[in-house]
Amino acid sequence: MTGAELTKILTLRSVWIVTGVILALHLLVSYLNVGTNIEAVRAITPDGTIELFADDPQPAGRAIIDFLVASSFQMGLFLPGLGVVIAGQEFRTSQLGQTLLAVPHRGRLIVAKAVATAVYLLFAALVVAGASTAFMYAAVRDWNPGLLVSPDAWLGQGKFVVFAVLTGLVGFAVTMIVRSTLAGVAVIVGLATVTMTQLLAAFSPALDALFPLSAGRNLLLDPVVNRLSASPVHAMAVLVAWPLVTTAVAAFLLARRDAR
Amino acid sequence: MIEISRLSKRYGAKTAVDDVSFSVRPGRVTGFLGPNGAGKSTTLRVLLGLDHPTSGTALIDGRRYRDLRHPLRTVGALLDGAGPVPERRAIDHLTWIAQSNRIPRRRVREVLDLVGLGDAAGQRVKKYSLGMGQRLGIAAALLGDPEILVLDEPVNGLDPDGIRWVRTFLREFAAGGRTVLLSSHLMTEMAETADEAVVIANGRIVARGSIEELTAGHASLETAFFALTEG
Repeated sequence: MTGAELTKILTLRSVWIVTGVILALHLLVSYLNVGTNIEAVRAITPDGTIELFADDPQPAGRAIIDFLVASSFQMGLFLPGLGVVIAGQEFRTSQLGQTLLAVPHRGRLIVAKAVATAVYLLFAALVVAGASTAFMYAAVRDWNPGLLVSPDAWLGQGKFVVFAVLTGLVGFAVTMIVRSTLAGVAVIVGLATVTMTQLLAAFSPALDALFPLSAGRNLLLDPVVNRLSASPVHAMAVLVAWPLVTTAVAAFLLARRDAR
Repeated sequence: MIEISRLSKRYGAKTAVDDVSFSVRPGRVTGFLGPNGAGKSTTLRVLLGLDHPTSGTALIDGRRYRDLRHPLRTVGALLDGAGPVPERRAIDHLTWIAQSNRIPRRRVREVLDLVGLGDAAGQRVKKYSLGMGQRLGIAAALLGDPEILVLDEPVNGLDPDGIRWVRTFLREFAAGGRTVLLSSHLMTEMAETADEAVVIANGRIVARGSIEELTAGHASLETAFFALTEG
C-alpha cells in the first residue's frame, strides 16, 4: 500500500516540478554565497576566527557548521509545500474516490500515505543537505574539509532532515484536512509568516515556540547568535507533536466524511 | 451477490436515498435505472464505501466494501466521482491501483490491451478523449479480475464500437457466473444488455424484475421507464 502511494508521488509531474524549483532555488542561493564563503575562509585568523558576516567574528568551525545548517534550513521552509502538493492530488478531479475504492480502510490509507510522503520528503531533504555540504566543501576544502563530516556537522544536518520531514508531514496532513491544495498552501504560508515576521516571538515567545517552523528555528539555530523562543528539546517535542496531531485529525475526518 | 437492505442516505435536509432494498444475483446483468438525481449514484457510492449510509446496509458477499482487504480483487467499479489525476499517464494510474491491491504488474498491460488503450498507455490522461477516459475507467475496474462489476454509466462517451464491446463483454462476464450491476439512463442500451432491472425514482425503488416483466404492457423499456418514474 505504501508502494502504491509512493508510485502516486513519483508519477505526479507537479511533485517533480515543485521539488525542482526548491532545489534550483537552493543551488542558486548557495552559488551566490560560495564566493563570499571562500573569501571568508581564506581570511580566517591564526586564532581561528572567521567573519562570515561583516563585523561579526566567530570561532570558525562552529560558525561554518551553523552557516551550513542554516542554509539547509532556509530551503526547508519550502518543503511543507511538497507535502501540500502530494496530499492535494487527491482532491483534484475526484482522485480520492478512486483511492478509496482501492483502499477503503481509512486508517490504513492515511498511514500508507503519511509513510510514503515521509520517504519522499526524506529524499528531498537529503538532496538539500547534500547540496549545502557540497557548496560549503568548495569553501573549506583547502582549510579543513574534514569539518563537514565532523560529528557536529552530522548532528546539525541530521536535525535539519528531521525538521524537514516533520514539517513536510504537517503540510501533507493540513491539506488532507482542508481538502484543497490552495487552502493547504494558505495555511502553510500563514504558519511560515508567523515565524518569519517574528511578531509573535516579540510579544509571546512561549506561544511562538508552539508553531512548527519556529520550532525548527529553535532546534537548528545557535542560541548564542540567534534570539530563540524555546530550547531544542521543547522544539523537538513541538515538531513531533504537529504531524502526529494533524495526521490524527486528518484520519478522523477522512473516516467521518463522505469522499466528496 | 450484492444485498442492499433498507438503505437510506440524507445530505442535510435532503433525502437522496430512502429505504432502498434490492439484491443483485450472480450470473445476471442487473440494470439500475432512474432519472438524473433519482439516487442511483448515491446508492452505488454507499455500496462502495465512499459515502456513509444514514441507515441500512449495503453488503457484498455479506461484508461491507470497506471491510474488504483487497477489494479490487472482488469488486471492480466505475464511478463518476472516482477518476485519475489528468496529468498522470494512464499506465501509471493503473500501476498504483494494481500495487494497492497486490495485483500483478502484467495485469496493467492486459487490461489496457483489453479495452483498446494499449497504444495510448503512455499518454497523460488529460490528452484522452471522453471515450478513452471511459475505457481507462473500465480498465481500472477490470484490473483485479473481480467476481463483481459495479458500473455507473459505462458507455458514456463511447463510440458505437465501444458500446458494442461493453455490451458483449458484460454479457459474457455474467454468463461466466459473475455479477454485474449496471447503472444507466440509456434505455435501449439497457434493454439489450440487462437481464433484469431495478428502477429508482426520487430515492425510492419503484419497480424491479426481469426486463420482460418490466416492459410487459409497454412498447419498450423506455416507455415502461417513463410510466414508472413519472407516475
